[in-house]
Parts: sequence; structure tokens; C-alpha cells
Amino acid sequence: MSEVSHRAEEAPNWILVHPAYQQMKSLEVEDSAQVHAAFLVYMDLSEVRQWKEVSCVKSPELQVVLLEGREKEGAPIQTVFPLPTHRPLSHQSIRHVLDRGFPMLLCAVASDSTLVYQRMTDGLVTPDPPTGPFQDMGRRQHRKRRKQQ
Amino acid sequence: MTDHKASVPAQTEGMEQDPPQVVGVSDSAPPQVVGVSRCDSAPLLWRDQDLRAVRVRGLVGALLGALPRTPRQNGRLGRPLLLLPEEERLLTELHATANANQGGGGVQLSLQVKQHLEEQERSLEEQRVLALQDRKSALLHAMTSSHTGSLGPSEALRGRLEALHRSFTFPRGAMAVQLSTARAGLHHCHEDRAFLRAQQPITVQHDFLRAQQPITAQHDSKAAARYQVFRDLRGRGFYLTSAGKFGGDFLVYPGDPLRFHAHFIAVVLSLDSSLSPLDVLAIARLGSNVKKTVLLCSPGGVQYPGGAGGVQYTSLQWSGMV
Repeated sequence: MSEVSHRAEEAPNWILVHPAYQQMKSLEVEDSAQVHAAFLVYMDLSEVRQWKEVSCVKSPELQVVLLEGREKEGAPIQTVFPLPTHRPLSHQSIRHVLDRGFPMLLCAVASDSTLVYQRMTDGLVTPDPPTGPFQDMGRRQHRKRRKQQ
Repeated sequence: MTDHKASVPAQTEGMEQDPPQVVGVSDSAPPQVVGVSRCDSAPLLWRDQDLRAVRVRGLVGALLGALPRTPRQNGRLGRPLLLLPEEERLLTELHATANANQGGGGVQLSLQVKQHLEEQERSLEEQRVLALQDRKSALLHAMTSSHTGSLGPSEALRGRLEALHRSFTFPRGAMAVQLSTARAGLHHCHEDRAFLRAQQPITVQHDFLRAQQPITAQHDSKAAARYQVFRDLRGRGFYLTSAGKFGGDFLVYPGDPLRFHAHFIAVVLSLDSSLSPLDVLAIARLGSNVKKTVLLCSPGGVQYPGGAGGVQYTSLQWSGMV
């Protein structure tokens, strides 16, 4: 009995012993909150969304852990920038990640581990046009407008 | 009577090599100088041809004036046109603005204002007298109609009339003011109005604007950044208006706002200013909800062959990952 409880106390946190986490740790990024966030995003991409070839890399300019991966087999590589929500973000750092040349996703990691992905692209990207079918509203709309005026 | 100049803006040639130039009016028509009036520090345009000239250059502005025939609504407004500070600065740099408040307008105008106020006072007095008379006759009618033939209440009646006379007040808000809604004034014989004559372009540029009001250093750098982004986007042919409704700096249209919906919400920030990731998510979400792309715009970092600094743009789009 005491043996079991003793072992339970000694059993380390599963994250710390995870090989992916240990790989990120070896990149020697000082911001441990960011490394933790990167691990959570890694798990989401690889296990939940089943992305392929997910790997971690260090950004020298930003001193953070970035992730790379493919959404599907044969899809292009994308860069994911994990960031805890309490850390500041600058346009400069976004540009650094975009300069790597791959499509970029920012992933904001909240304190309750909620993950939100935001697509970021260089340049001016026209939004999608409204989808049809387009219907002439007819006289009802016209009458409504006239009444309002 | 009104001459409709259908002017079409022409692109200057050879734009591909140079940094984005500002679109000018074609060489066949002489570049037009618009007269800018100031109300405190707000730059306003009053003349029809000025509004048209400015629209032809791709600047939209915002109409401010009430229309006398359709009062108490904000759906459709009339002249004057308020220019964005960036729009005014752009026009000034193109030597296309002239100060419309120059040349003797001061003395003449203050005399006209004095006369107008005196007229108002006279009208107020007249109306006050008439209103008192009205009330007295109404009181008389009310008191005597119920006591036909009897002389008893005449003392009370006199007392009431005197009390009314003493305590009667005619507030300014009750005064009726007549407005002429006929087509006169600015539109009619507009060329004759000396105080609207605008011929000499303002040559003093950037410092002229700075000298007008005291600006803090932070505001100044933000204003400079906004102007650079405005000029760059305008140079690429977009139309820009202010984006207060969407929490951004500018709304960017692919063409005239009367014909298109905006494509982008431009947010101007310096490359090194820090935001919270939550703010980025918030504005990106807003943009997705209204079918517009949020554009983070930062001047600097891009060098063109001509040496002019460019602007870096990052588009925020819906990720589709739920």
C-alpha cells in the first residue's frame, strides 16, 4: 500500500517525460511557458488533427519554438507559431515567421489550454466574395425601405 | 446650369518600376486647386467643383452638413465635406489645396455675423411682444366667456392680466427662425463670393500642418505612420475611408465606395509595437464576421529602388480550424 502511494508521488508529469517535449527542451529556449504552449500545440496537431511530419525548430531571432508540419500527406509544409496569450506579439515577429517562406498559422494558447489558430499571410489577400444564390428582394424590400425613410 | 465634368483619373505611366506613386489627374486637364476652409482645425470643402475634383483624385472624405429640406436624419447628408487629415496632407503635398479663408474675409465676415445677430435679437423682441399679446387675449377670452354680462370678476381679471405681464418669459428656444431652402448662397453665383476664391496653392507643406496645433510626440509618430500607409494604399489605386465602425484605421475599397464593399480593414501599427495575441484574434474575428480581411500595416522595412520606404502588409484570414 505504502509502496503504491510512494510510487504515485514519485511518478513524474507525463509531459516532462514525453519524447517530443524533451526534444523541444533540448532546443534551449528560455521561455518555458512558450515551450509548454508549443507542446500542447504539437499534441493537438499530431494526435487530434492527425497532421503529418510534425517537428519542432527554434527561431533564432525570436527565441521561441516553432512547429512545422503537413496537414495531409503531400500537402505543403506550414509553420505554426505557438504563443501563450499573456505574451506580447509584434508585427516584426510575425514578419520573421513569414520570412521563413511557408504558410503561417499563429496558435494562441490560453491558460485553460484552449487553442485558437489564426492564418497570417504576407501581402493583401482579397476576402472571399459573398456566396450566391443572389436573389432580387423584390418590391417587399423596396416598400420596407421607403417606409423607413 | 451646373456643368457636369465627367473626369476620369489617368494612371501615370511606368508605375511598375517605381515605388507606388500617387494617382494624379490626366495631363490634358490642368490640375485643380481646391479651396479648403477651416472650422477650428477641421479641413472642409464647400464648393461643388471642389468635391468633384477631390473625388476624381480618389479621395472620399465625409459629408457633414444637414440638408434643410430633409432635417432630423443622418442617412443623407450634404456639404461641407470633411477631409481626413491624411487626405488633406496628400492634397497639400500635391500643391492642390489653397486656403479659402484668405483675403479680407475676416472683417467682412465678422460684420455680416454682427448684422445677423442683431437681426435675430430684433426678431426675438417682436416675437416676444406678439406672444404676450396672444396670451393676454386668450386669458381675456377664457375669463369673460364664462361670466357673460356680469361685472364682478373684472378686478380679478385685471389682477391676472398684470401678473401675466410681469411673469411672462419668452425663451430663445421658442423663437421661430426662417430658413431659406431656395437654391441660393454657395451654389448660386458661387464664383462671386470673395471669401471662397482660392487661387494660390499652399506651398508650405508639412511644417504648416504641424504649426497649427500642439501635438504630442507619440501622436505625431502614429499620425506619420497612418499617413505613410494611406499614401501607399492610395498609390495602389485603393479608396480609403475611416474605419471607426470596425475598430481599425482605414476601410480599403477596390474602387469607389459607391460601387464596392470594402475588402480590407487596415490597422496601422509600428513594426515593434507589441499587442496581446487576444487583440489580434478579436479583430481578426470581427473581420471574418463582416467578410473583410484585416490588414496589419507597418511602414518601414521594405526598400524600393528609388529609395522610398515601403509598407509591410500582413493579411489575417479565417483559419478554418475548429
